[in-house]
Amino acid sequence: MKNNIPNILVIGGGVAGMAAAQTFAHKAVIVHLVEKQPTLGGHAAMWACMATDTCQNCGACLSCEMADQVLKQKNVVLHLNTRVNTIQQNHQGYEVGLENQQTFGVKKIIMATGFSPFDPVQIPSLHADTHENVITTAQLNTRLKQETLSGLFNGKPNPKIAFLQCVGSRNREQGRDYCSQVCCKISMRHANKLGYLYPEADITLFHMDLQIIGKEARPMFTALSKNITLVQGVPAEILENPDTRMLTIVAEDQETQSRVTRAFDLIVLSVGMLPSRELETTCGLLDIHPNSWGFFNTDPAMVPSQDILVAGCAKGPKDILSAQQDGRIAAARVIDDLGVTPDKQPAIAVLGNGAQADQTARMICSKGYPTYLFGPGTGLSKETPVIVLKDSNIISISGTGGNFSLFYRTGKEKKILACAAIIAAVEPAATLKKIATLANESLSLEAMAQIIDKTPTDCPDHMAILLDYAGPEYKSSARLALELAIRAKALGKNSAIIMNKMLVHGASGQRLYDTARQQGVDFFRFEHPDDIDIQDSGNGFLITLKEATLPSIALHLHCDGLVLPPVIRPASEFKAVAALLRQPLDTEGFLQSANTRHRLTRSPRNGIFFAGSGHDETDPEDLSNEIAEILSTFSASSLDVPGADPGVEINEKKCAQCLTCLRICPHAAIVMNEKKRPQIVPESCFSCHLCVSNCPAYAIESKELTNDQMARKVKKDTIVILACERSAALAANDLVLADPINLIPIPCACRVSSDVILKALLNGAERVIVSGCHDGNCRSVDGSHVAEASVKKVLSVPGLPAAKVVWEPVAANETRKFERIISKAQE
Amino acid sequence: MDHANIDKDAVLYNLLTPLPRGYNISECLTCGACSSRCTWFDGEGGPLPRQIIRMAAMGLDEHLVNSHMLWDCLICNRCTQACPMGITMDKVVTKARSLAIADEKIPHDIKKGIQNRLELGDVNALTREEFVETVEWVSEEFADEMADPRAEIPHDIKGAKLLYLPNPRELGASLLHLTAMAKLFYATKESWTLSARHTDVTNWGYFVGKDDVIRQMALMVVEPAEELGIETLVLSECGHGYHVLKYLLETIIGRKPGFEVISIPEFILRYAKKGVLKFDPGTHPYKIAYHDPCNISRKSGGYDAPRELLALVCQGVVELTPNREDAICCGGGGGLLQNSTSNGKRMITGKPKADQMRATGLTHLATACLSCKRQLGELSDHFKLGIAVETVAALASESLIL
Repeated sequence: MKNNIPNILVIGGGVAGMAAAQTFAHKAVIVHLVEKQPTLGGHAAMWACMATDTCQNCGACLSCEMADQVLKQKNVVLHLNTRVNTIQQNHQGYEVGLENQQTFGVKKIIMATGFSPFDPVQIPSLHADTHENVITTAQLNTRLKQETLSGLFNGKPNPKIAFLQCVGSRNREQGRDYCSQVCCKISMRHANKLGYLYPEADITLFHMDLQIIGKEARPMFTALSKNITLVQGVPAEILENPDTRMLTIVAEDQETQSRVTRAFDLIVLSVGMLPSRELETTCGLLDIHPNSWGFFNTDPAMVPSQDILVAGCAKGPKDILSAQQDGRIAAARVIDDLGVTPDKQPAIAVLGNGAQADQTARMICSKGYPTYLFGPGTGLSKETPVIVLKDSNIISISGTGGNFSLFYRTGKEKKILACAAIIAAVEPAATLKKIATLANESLSLEAMAQIIDKTPTDCPDHMAILLDYAGPEYKSSARLALELAIRAKALGKNSAIIMNKMLVHGASGQRLYDTARQQGVDFFRFEHPDDIDIQDSGNGFLITLKEATLPSIALHLHCDGLVLPPVIRPASEFKAVAALLRQPLDTEGFLQSANTRHRLTRSPRNGIFFAGSGHDETDPEDLSNEIAEILSTFSASSLDVPGADPGVEINEKKCAQCLTCLRICPHAAIVMNEKKRPQIVPESCFSCHLCVSNCPAYAIESKELTNDQMARKVKKDTIVILACERSAALAANDLVLADPINLIPIPCACRVSSDVILKALLNGAERVIVSGCHDGNCRSVDGSHVAEASVKKVLSVPGLPAAKVVWEPVAANETRKFERIISKAQE
Repeated sequence: MDHANIDKDAVLYNLLTPLPRGYNISECLTCGACSSRCTWFDGEGGPLPRQIIRMAAMGLDEHLVNSHMLWDCLICNRCTQACPMGITMDKVVTKARSLAIADEKIPHDIKKGIQNRLELGDVNALTREEFVETVEWVSEEFADEMADPRAEIPHDIKGAKLLYLPNPRELGASLLHLTAMAKLFYATKESWTLSARHTDVTNWGYFVGKDDVIRQMALMVVEPAEELGIETLVLSECGHGYHVLKYLLETIIGRKPGFEVISIPEFILRYAKKGVLKFDPGTHPYKIAYHDPCNISRKSGGYDAPRELLALVCQGVVELTPNREDAICCGGGGGLLQNSTSNGKRMITGKPKADQMRATGLTHLATACLSCKRQLGELSDHFKLGIAVETVAALASESLIL
């Protein structure tokens, strides 16, 4: 029997590899996971936590949790500390030989070989190898993680710190004409973290085109830009002041129109991503040719077999969440190919008003799922089996993943749709900003695209596209602007793009930008929208520009077509959609919170998904990846198959039917049953225990973590640490905890109530430390708030010293911080 | 504030954009790498390399031509060494200098030198007769010094193996340098010659970016050399001469020349490696720092030969920091040294170099370009560095064991 179970090889135990392996968790498939390092987690596991008072949504800590889960996954055969040595194709698949002499046969191979950070030693003028205070972002991570950064400042409270972006990226001369995508966000988070750790630090970020992309990046940038200095233009050389030994760089000074020397205590090189050497080796074993940058060539013609798949950064630069997404997608392809998908294909509902919802419905439907689209569906062909429910209003949604009941009204008729999952693909509002002072009409990007498509003869002779004018641009607009400018040029017209920065975001964007400049599209930069003046001029416009690279000259540019990108804002219906789904909006008002535990496409509520630009910045490629990721969830398991026993149940005898639990459950996993009583749906329950700690009647009982059971774990005179299993307890994994430390793992910080803390103190605990995820990172949404509030409540007891009970957020990758908290508590 | 219209019909833009990589100004990413690497000191008054490229890309010819940056630029290419798009500053700046509207900005001395060279064959207006007279006189002196009647400085010898192309200064202010080089040729026992038809290794057409002038001057070297039937053209130590006659020559004349081109230090090193030339490193019982001439090193890749040769004739080569591709210009590049009105400015442009020299703590410095040598020597005097500056080939001649 065992011989019939297919074996899969996953090369690389980083985020993508682990995500792929996890997708097979419920499958009769054996996953051989090969990782050259002695531990799982890849680069992400080496990154530091970027949280300040709140989580900054980098996702690095997720890799620690993933590693923990994969280690426990029954169908994963781990091969750590070894490499793949040989791969021989045979009639059944591939015979794999490892460095450690083990051999096994597999049917499919997923290459998740990750990346290598660029080594700046290749650029001697940056002195990365000769000066201790020139470090890479990777090294900064290590220092932050180990809490050894201060050593570089000699105790200075106000260090001067510079970040240099694009080191190793966007350099055609060096053969890397791609944007590494992640470095701007990494540096913004680093700058944010350093500003938090050293409030008096003077931080300057030198960038080429700051890539502010994504729902978490825009608010972060807005806050950050008030606290640090942003300079466009990246110095390519670092010198040392021989007298002070301080690092210096020369940069243009806008005010004096000269080059000025600036001294820094620390210079961080924001290094790009290169393909890993493992990829080269593995490609060699499989006779695959990487692309010109050395990444996996995703061109189907270059992949010898559909049994060989690739995931994550082996394809090119990706951030942690995208690598995770890509791992899931690759695994789902394997599952689909092997035919080990769930038996039934349940109905799926898609909500949305535009092309993105149409595409979502089309793709879901094409995979065989009965698909219902709540929206106009104007982009769908008549042949498509998608059932379009236009002019239907959803009134309410009840149930849980796998078993939703969607109540809706069509005209006066009330109907119910039973579906397994709901995908919100509602598009944001996109309006054309009108420049009030102008009489002549400007065009939208969309309208310009129409002209070039349909009536190219109407294309203006001199077109100017104005980006970043109504706030930071969206990458989809930047991309379209480049495409239109190039196409206008090909029609023999002049085209110019006026921008604050070009959002190239990745390889194809950089290529497009390079092509545009090569074709003679003009690019102008401005520092601030106030630097642009636009006047009517005949049938066109006269733009007067204080150009950022030539600020002493007022530049005049005539154009007969002024093109403005849409202003993208949350749609008015987002609030209603969010309320229906029982999901919060993010800080800007878009769908889905920025919490990395559920992004890119999921939500705390099983079976509720998000796709398209209503929840995050998505270009067409992102959207298809999002849909593929959602589909991967369906392939991986039926939404209504119970997972592990959640360990909580409602004692009907005690239940007062107050419905507190139903109201507060962050996962909407408590429903009313036929007897009109609340009931926990195990397959949607994340076992956070919030209901347990909040039930006024103590009617929700935990099998292993009742208040009394927890109190019994408290030993006298110990320091009790109530540690969230997903964060603090994982951080403690590598530590040897001896008396008096008494760590009690809890499923979520929200298990902690004032009762639990007080019982621990009564049982003789010397101190109680409650430790969980950073604010904004709790899988069950509010765990950190609940725990912190419980701590405060206990401390309000008169006479209780503040040190007796503390709340300490600790992420899974903050081992050193956890250690510090423990030793401080023992003092 | 100045005003300007973006002009896609501008002459410079349309001149540069059809040209290959290096001239590709419109591809500028405005990354700012160049502005951090200009050889000039920091502070007001120096060039802003990115602005030069941007003015060219936006068609602001007049602004560029009227900017001090056009002739302040040392065209050392240190800025664009790090350019991710491979834009090359000397190409852009010299093309801008070549514009008709920039003609009046060409320094008088350079204009005059070019005229002299084209009309008389020598930048310093040395006539062919004067050349012959000078060489024959030096030759006699040389034979006396060597106490060997076969020791001579020949000229216009058909069929000679080697043709030496001196620096104009070697027939004027630095006659002794010519003798020193003659000693080296003499020691190789190879047949060699000078040519009265082209006295000069320089090509000032390069400073003004005029292709026709550059080509004409290059052919003034190539054609007579081919007529003499030589095997190897040996260039005197000259930075831009090396760049033009060795690195760019084929592109300029559109074909391979009928001879090999090497510099005198490369020539000496070759014969030292063969065991023909022998040196006594004890002649210079100290360490010597080496300055990379931008034109030879960064712009033409000639990093190693002068260093290897220098190592043979003293107690060790000391590197300046930074060096090689990141080396700092002496401050006399781009035509500054050829323009007598910029003598004061050269002590400003050379300040970073002087600081670098001082930091070695040494008393001796060598280089492989007579122009650099002059500038570095003046810097040593001006900044009271107490550093003696010599060329590598001259030091080799001093150390030669006959």
